[in-house]
Amino acid sequence: MRKWLLIIAGVLLPAHIASVDAAQSWNVTGEEEARFDAKVVDVLCELTGDCPADCGAGRRQLGLLDDDGTLILATKNFAPFAGATDELIEFCQQRVTVDGLFTSNRGARIFAVQFVRPEGGDWRRTNRFLNKWAETNGVDPAGKAKNTWFKRDPRVKEIIERDGFLGLGPEEDKKFLADY
Amino acid sequence: MRATMLLASASLAAWIFGASSAVAAGQRIQLTGELVDTWCYISEIMGGSEAVLGSAHHQCAVWCAAGGIPVGLLSEAGDLYMVLKLGGDDTSNANPRILEIQSSQVTVDGELHERDGIRYLLIDEILNNDGIVNRSHEDFGVIPAFGVPQQ
Repeated sequence: MRKWLLIIAGVLLPAHIASVDAAQSWNVTGEEEARFDAKVVDVLCELTGDCPADCGAGRRQLGLLDDDGTLILATKNFAPFAGATDELIEFCQQRVTVDGLFTSNRGARIFAVQFVRPEGGDWRRTNRFLNKWAETNGVDPAGKAKNTWFKRDPRVKEIIERDGFLGLGPEEDKKFLADY
Repeated sequence: MRATMLLASASLAAWIFGASSAVAAGQRIQLTGELVDTWCYISEIMGGSEAVLGSAHHQCAVWCAAGGIPVGLLSEAGDLYMVLKLGGDDTSNANPRILEIQSSQVTVDGELHERDGIRYLLIDEILNNDGIVNRSHEDFGVIPAFGVPQQ
Protein backbone atom coordinates (compact mmCIF):
# COMPACT_ATOMS: atom_id res chain seq x y z
CA MET A 1 0.00 0.00 0.00
CA ARG A 2 2.75 2.43 1.01
CA LYS A 3 4.58 1.65 -2.21
CA TRP A 4 1.50 2.37 -4.28
CA LEU A 5 0.93 5.66 -2.57
CA LEU A 6 4.51 6.57 -3.46
CA ILE A 7 3.92 5.61 -7.07
CA ILE A 8 0.67 7.52 -7.33
CA ALA A 9 2.33 10.50 -5.65
CA GLY A 10 5.11 10.22 -8.21
CA VAL A 11 2.63 10.35 -11.05
CA LEU A 12 0.96 13.39 -9.58
CA LEU A 13 4.22 15.26 -9.06
CA PRO A 14 4.79 18.13 -11.48
CA ALA A 15 7.27 17.10 -14.15
CA HIS A 16 9.75 19.79 -13.16
CA ILE A 17 10.04 18.38 -9.64
CA ALA A 18 10.62 14.74 -10.49
CA SER A 19 13.73 13.79 -12.44
CA VAL A 20 12.71 13.23 -16.04
CA ASP A 21 15.21 10.67 -17.17
CA ALA A 22 16.27 8.35 -14.36
CA ALA A 23 14.65 5.22 -12.99
CA GLN A 24 12.78 5.69 -9.73
CA SER A 25 12.71 2.88 -7.22
CA TRP A 26 9.36 1.32 -6.44
CA ASN A 27 10.83 -1.23 -4.01
CA VAL A 28 9.51 -4.15 -6.03
CA THR A 29 10.74 -7.70 -5.61
CA GLY A 30 14.07 -8.36 -7.31
CA GLU A 31 14.27 -4.74 -8.36
CA GLU A 32 17.04 -3.69 -10.75
CA GLU A 33 17.27 -0.22 -12.19
CA ALA A 34 18.21 -0.43 -15.85
CA ARG A 35 18.80 1.67 -18.93
CA PHE A 36 19.36 -0.06 -22.25
CA ASP A 37 18.86 0.15 -25.99
CA ALA A 38 16.35 -2.18 -27.60
CA LYS A 39 14.00 -2.62 -30.51
CA VAL A 40 10.29 -2.36 -29.78
CA VAL A 41 8.66 -5.59 -30.95
CA ASP A 42 5.29 -7.30 -31.02
CA VAL A 43 5.63 -10.23 -28.61
CA LEU A 44 3.14 -12.45 -30.42
CA CYS A 45 5.01 -11.83 -33.67
CA GLU A 46 8.35 -12.72 -32.09
CA LEU A 47 6.94 -16.01 -30.81
CA THR A 48 4.76 -17.16 -33.67
CA GLY A 49 5.71 -15.26 -36.83
CA ASP A 50 2.22 -13.71 -37.00
CA CYS A 51 3.44 -10.21 -37.67
CA PRO A 52 1.14 -7.35 -38.65
CA ALA A 53 3.20 -4.42 -39.90
CA ASP A 54 1.89 -2.13 -37.17
CA CYS A 55 2.70 -4.46 -34.23
CA GLY A 56 -1.03 -4.95 -33.77
CA ALA A 57 -1.90 -1.24 -33.66
CA GLY A 58 -2.04 -1.23 -29.86
CA ARG A 59 -3.99 -4.46 -29.41
CA ARG A 60 -0.98 -6.57 -28.51
CA GLN A 61 1.57 -6.69 -25.73
CA LEU A 62 4.90 -5.24 -26.76
CA GLY A 63 8.40 -6.31 -25.88
CA LEU A 64 11.92 -4.97 -25.96
CA LEU A 65 14.42 -6.97 -27.96
CA ASP A 66 17.81 -6.09 -26.55
CA ASP A 67 21.13 -6.26 -28.37
CA ASP A 68 21.74 -9.79 -27.03
CA GLY A 69 18.51 -10.98 -28.62
CA THR A 70 16.74 -11.30 -25.28
CA LEU A 71 13.01 -10.64 -25.45
CA ILE A 72 11.92 -8.55 -22.47
CA LEU A 73 8.23 -8.20 -21.72
CA ALA A 74 7.38 -4.51 -21.19
CA THR A 75 4.71 -4.91 -18.56
CA LYS A 76 4.24 -1.54 -16.92
CA ASN A 77 4.46 2.16 -17.62
CA PHE A 78 4.69 5.13 -15.23
CA ALA A 79 0.95 5.67 -14.79
CA PRO A 80 -1.03 3.89 -12.06
CA PHE A 81 -2.41 0.47 -12.99
CA ALA A 82 -1.43 0.72 -16.65
CA GLY A 83 0.73 -1.20 -19.10
CA ALA A 84 3.36 -0.22 -21.63
CA THR A 85 1.71 -0.77 -25.01
CA ASP A 86 0.30 2.73 -25.35
CA GLU A 87 3.73 4.15 -24.55
CA LEU A 88 5.68 2.07 -27.05
CA ILE A 89 3.35 1.41 -29.98
CA GLU A 90 4.47 4.45 -31.97
CA PHE A 91 8.00 3.01 -31.89
CA CYS A 92 7.02 -0.37 -33.39
CA GLN A 93 10.14 -2.01 -34.90
CA GLN A 94 12.23 1.03 -33.97
CA ARG A 95 15.18 1.27 -31.63
CA VAL A 96 14.69 3.17 -28.42
CA THR A 97 16.50 3.68 -25.15
CA VAL A 98 14.41 2.77 -22.13
CA ASP A 99 14.94 3.49 -18.46
CA GLY A 100 13.07 1.77 -15.69
CA LEU A 101 12.93 -1.21 -13.39
CA PHE A 102 13.20 -4.93 -13.76
CA THR A 103 11.29 -7.00 -11.24
CA SER A 104 12.07 -10.68 -10.86
CA ASN A 105 10.12 -13.25 -8.91
CA ARG A 106 9.28 -16.93 -9.14
CA GLY A 107 11.41 -17.32 -12.25
CA ALA A 108 9.86 -14.47 -14.22
CA ARG A 109 11.64 -11.20 -15.07
CA ILE A 110 9.62 -8.32 -16.49
CA PHE A 111 10.26 -4.64 -17.08
CA ALA A 112 8.52 -1.43 -16.06
CA VAL A 113 9.30 1.27 -18.62
CA GLN A 114 9.43 4.56 -16.75
CA PHE A 115 11.07 6.65 -19.46
CA VAL A 116 11.64 6.16 -23.18
CA ARG A 117 13.79 7.97 -25.69
CA PRO A 118 13.54 7.33 -29.44
CA GLU A 119 16.76 7.43 -31.44
CA GLY A 120 17.68 11.06 -31.92
CA GLY A 121 14.78 12.18 -29.74
CA ASP A 122 14.20 13.37 -26.21
CA TRP A 123 13.40 11.46 -23.05
CA ARG A 124 9.80 11.32 -22.06
CA ARG A 125 7.95 9.88 -19.12
CA THR A 126 5.74 6.91 -19.95
CA ASN A 127 2.36 8.27 -18.96
CA ARG A 128 0.77 8.82 -22.35
CA PHE A 129 -1.82 6.28 -21.35
CA LEU A 130 -3.46 8.91 -19.15
CA ASN A 131 -4.00 11.44 -21.92
CA LYS A 132 -5.21 8.76 -24.29
CA TRP A 133 -7.66 7.54 -21.67
CA ALA A 134 -8.83 11.09 -21.00
CA GLU A 135 -9.42 11.78 -24.67
CA THR A 136 -11.22 8.47 -25.17
CA ASN A 137 -13.49 9.09 -22.20
CA GLY A 138 -14.24 12.78 -22.65
CA VAL A 139 -12.18 13.87 -19.65
CA ASP A 140 -10.05 17.02 -19.66
CA PRO A 141 -6.48 15.82 -20.35
CA ALA A 142 -5.15 18.82 -18.44
CA GLY A 143 -7.20 18.04 -15.33
CA LYS A 144 -6.44 15.75 -12.39
CA ALA A 145 -9.35 13.37 -12.92
CA LYS A 146 -7.33 11.26 -15.35
CA ASN A 147 -4.94 10.30 -12.55
CA THR A 148 -7.68 8.21 -10.96
CA TRP A 149 -8.77 6.80 -14.31
CA PHE A 150 -9.12 3.32 -12.80
CA LYS A 151 -12.02 4.41 -10.60
CA ARG A 152 -13.73 6.32 -13.41
CA ASP A 153 -13.29 3.95 -16.33
CA PRO A 154 -16.71 2.90 -17.68
CA ARG A 155 -15.56 -0.66 -18.43
CA VAL A 156 -14.30 -1.09 -14.89
CA LYS A 157 -17.34 0.55 -13.32
CA GLU A 158 -19.72 -1.72 -15.19
CA ILE A 159 -17.90 -4.85 -14.00
CA ILE A 160 -17.50 -3.70 -10.39
CA GLU A 161 -21.10 -2.50 -10.13
CA ARG A 162 -22.33 -5.84 -11.44
CA ASP A 163 -19.93 -8.25 -9.71
CA GLY A 164 -18.80 -6.23 -6.70
CA PHE A 165 -15.28 -5.24 -5.77
CA LEU A 166 -14.70 -8.78 -4.51
CA GLY A 167 -16.05 -10.19 -7.73
CA LEU A 168 -18.41 -12.43 -5.79
CA GLY A 169 -21.58 -10.39 -6.22
CA PRO A 170 -22.92 -7.30 -4.45
CA GLU A 171 -24.20 -9.33 -1.47
CA GLU A 172 -20.67 -10.48 -0.63
CA ASP A 173 -19.51 -6.87 -0.75
CA LYS A 174 -22.24 -5.90 1.72
CA LYS A 175 -21.20 -8.67 4.12
CA PHE A 176 -17.58 -7.57 3.87
CA LEU A 177 -18.40 -3.93 4.46
CA ALA A 178 -20.61 -4.75 7.44
CA ASP A 179 -17.59 -6.23 9.20
CA TYR A 180 -15.06 -3.71 7.90
CA MET B 1 30.56 -16.67 -60.38
CA ARG B 2 30.18 -20.10 -58.78
CA ALA B 3 31.73 -18.82 -55.56
CA THR B 4 29.37 -15.85 -55.58
CA MET B 5 26.38 -18.16 -56.05
CA LEU B 6 27.55 -20.42 -53.21
CA LEU B 7 27.98 -17.40 -50.98
CA ALA B 8 24.53 -16.13 -51.88
CA SER B 9 23.03 -19.55 -51.18
CA ALA B 10 24.79 -19.73 -47.84
CA SER B 11 23.57 -16.25 -46.93
CA LEU B 12 20.02 -17.16 -47.91
CA ALA B 13 20.18 -20.34 -45.83
CA ALA B 14 21.58 -18.44 -42.87
CA TRP B 15 18.84 -15.85 -43.19
CA ILE B 16 16.13 -18.52 -43.41
CA PHE B 17 17.43 -20.61 -40.52
CA GLY B 18 18.32 -17.54 -38.52
CA ALA B 19 14.84 -16.16 -38.93
CA SER B 20 13.15 -19.45 -38.18
CA SER B 21 15.23 -20.01 -35.04
CA ALA B 22 13.46 -17.09 -33.37
CA VAL B 23 10.01 -18.54 -34.10
CA ALA B 24 9.47 -21.93 -32.52
CA ALA B 25 6.42 -24.13 -32.81
CA GLY B 26 4.12 -23.90 -29.84
CA GLN B 27 3.25 -26.82 -27.63
CA ARG B 28 -0.39 -27.88 -27.18
CA ILE B 29 -1.36 -27.61 -23.53
CA GLN B 30 -4.37 -27.77 -21.22
CA LEU B 31 -4.18 -25.86 -17.97
CA THR B 32 -6.37 -25.10 -14.99
CA GLY B 33 -5.65 -21.99 -12.98
CA GLU B 34 -6.59 -18.48 -11.98
CA LEU B 35 -6.46 -15.45 -14.27
CA VAL B 36 -4.24 -12.96 -12.46
CA ASP B 37 -2.72 -9.51 -12.61
CA THR B 38 0.88 -10.29 -13.58
CA TRP B 39 2.44 -7.02 -12.48
CA CYS B 40 1.21 -7.16 -8.89
CA TYR B 41 1.89 -10.90 -8.68
CA ILE B 42 5.51 -10.70 -9.84
CA SER B 43 6.48 -7.33 -8.37
CA GLU B 44 4.74 -7.87 -5.01
CA ILE B 45 4.30 -4.12 -5.01
CA MET B 46 1.28 -4.44 -2.74
CA GLY B 47 2.51 -7.27 -0.60
CA GLY B 48 3.09 -10.99 -0.96
CA SER B 49 1.99 -12.76 -4.10
CA GLU B 50 -0.71 -14.72 -2.24
CA ALA B 51 -2.43 -11.46 -1.28
CA VAL B 52 -2.84 -10.33 -4.87
CA LEU B 53 -4.92 -13.27 -6.02
CA GLY B 54 -8.61 -14.04 -5.87
CA SER B 55 -11.33 -11.89 -4.34
CA ALA B 56 -8.95 -9.76 -2.25
CA HIS B 57 -7.37 -8.36 -5.36
CA HIS B 58 -10.16 -8.73 -7.90
CA GLN B 59 -10.91 -5.04 -8.27
CA CYS B 60 -7.25 -4.13 -8.72
CA ALA B 61 -6.84 -7.00 -11.16
CA VAL B 62 -9.65 -5.52 -13.25
CA TRP B 63 -8.04 -2.07 -13.05
CA CYS B 64 -4.71 -3.46 -14.25
CA ALA B 65 -6.27 -5.52 -17.03
CA ALA B 66 -8.20 -2.45 -18.22
CA GLY B 67 -4.96 -0.49 -18.12
CA GLY B 68 -3.31 -2.98 -20.43
CA ILE B 69 -1.06 -4.83 -18.00
CA PRO B 70 -0.70 -8.43 -19.19
CA VAL B 71 -3.13 -10.89 -17.66
CA GLY B 72 -1.66 -14.22 -16.67
CA LEU B 73 -2.88 -17.67 -15.89
CA LEU B 74 -1.45 -18.98 -12.63
CA SER B 75 -1.64 -22.74 -12.93
CA GLU B 76 -2.44 -25.16 -10.14
CA ALA B 77 1.25 -26.09 -10.22
CA GLY B 78 2.15 -22.47 -9.47
CA ASP B 79 3.51 -21.59 -12.90
CA LEU B 80 2.62 -18.25 -14.47
CA TYR B 81 1.64 -17.97 -18.13
CA MET B 82 1.25 -14.62 -19.91
CA VAL B 83 -1.95 -14.65 -21.98
CA LEU B 84 -1.41 -13.24 -25.46
CA LYS B 85 -4.46 -14.50 -27.30
CA LEU B 86 -7.97 -15.68 -26.56
CA GLY B 87 -10.09 -17.67 -28.98
CA GLY B 88 -8.51 -16.28 -32.11
CA ASP B 89 -8.55 -12.70 -30.82
CA ASP B 90 -5.02 -11.32 -30.63
CA THR B 91 -6.01 -8.50 -28.28
CA SER B 92 -3.91 -8.78 -25.15
CA ASN B 93 -3.95 -5.08 -24.29
CA ALA B 94 -7.17 -4.61 -22.29
CA ASN B 95 -9.16 -7.38 -23.96
CA PRO B 96 -12.79 -6.81 -22.87
CA ARG B 97 -13.48 -10.55 -22.78
CA ILE B 98 -10.57 -11.13 -20.41
CA LEU B 99 -11.70 -8.22 -18.23
CA GLU B 100 -15.00 -10.01 -17.76
CA ILE B 101 -13.38 -13.18 -16.41
CA GLN B 102 -10.47 -11.69 -14.49
CA SER B 103 -9.66 -13.60 -11.24
CA SER B 104 -11.74 -16.58 -12.35
CA GLN B 105 -10.52 -20.15 -12.19
CA VAL B 106 -10.56 -21.52 -15.71
CA THR B 107 -9.51 -24.57 -17.62
CA VAL B 108 -8.14 -23.74 -21.03
CA ASP B 109 -6.79 -25.41 -24.12
CA GLY B 110 -4.11 -23.54 -25.97
CA GLU B 111 -0.60 -23.19 -27.24
CA LEU B 112 2.45 -22.67 -25.06
CA HIS B 113 5.53 -20.74 -26.08
CA GLU B 114 8.54 -20.12 -23.87
CA ARG B 115 11.19 -17.48 -24.39
CA ASP B 116 13.82 -16.01 -22.10
CA GLY B 117 12.28 -17.35 -18.93
CA ILE B 118 8.68 -16.32 -19.64
CA ARG B 119 5.84 -18.70 -20.49
CA TYR B 120 3.36 -17.31 -23.01
CA LEU B 121 -0.07 -18.81 -23.56
CA LEU B 122 -2.28 -18.51 -26.63
CA ILE B 123 -5.68 -19.66 -25.43
CA ASP B 124 -7.74 -21.33 -28.12
CA GLU B 125 -10.68 -22.27 -25.93
CA ILE B 126 -11.91 -21.87 -22.39
CA LEU B 127 -13.14 -25.34 -21.52
CA ASN B 128 -14.50 -24.45 -18.09
CA ASN B 129 -14.98 -21.36 -15.96
CA ASP B 130 -15.66 -21.84 -12.25
CA GLY B 131 -15.70 -18.10 -11.57
CA ILE B 132 -13.80 -16.68 -8.61
CA VAL B 133 -13.15 -19.52 -6.20
CA ASN B 134 -10.24 -18.04 -4.24
CA ARG B 135 -11.95 -16.17 -1.38
CA SER B 136 -8.70 -14.50 -0.41
CA HIS B 137 -10.49 -11.47 1.10
CA GLU B 138 -11.24 -13.65 4.09
CA ASP B 139 -7.50 -13.68 4.85
CA PHE B 140 -6.23 -10.44 3.34
CA GLY B 141 -9.18 -8.03 3.14
CA VAL B 142 -9.08 -5.87 0.02
CA ILE B 143 -5.73 -5.21 -1.63
CA PRO B 144 -5.10 -2.29 -2.02
CA ALA B 145 -7.18 -1.13 0.93
CA PHE B 146 -8.02 2.18 -0.75
CA GLY B 147 -10.15 0.13 -3.12
CA VAL B 148 -12.76 -0.37 -0.40
CA PRO B 149 -15.63 2.03 -1.13
CA GLN B 150 -16.05 4.81 1.39
CA GLN B 151 -19.27 4.45 3.36
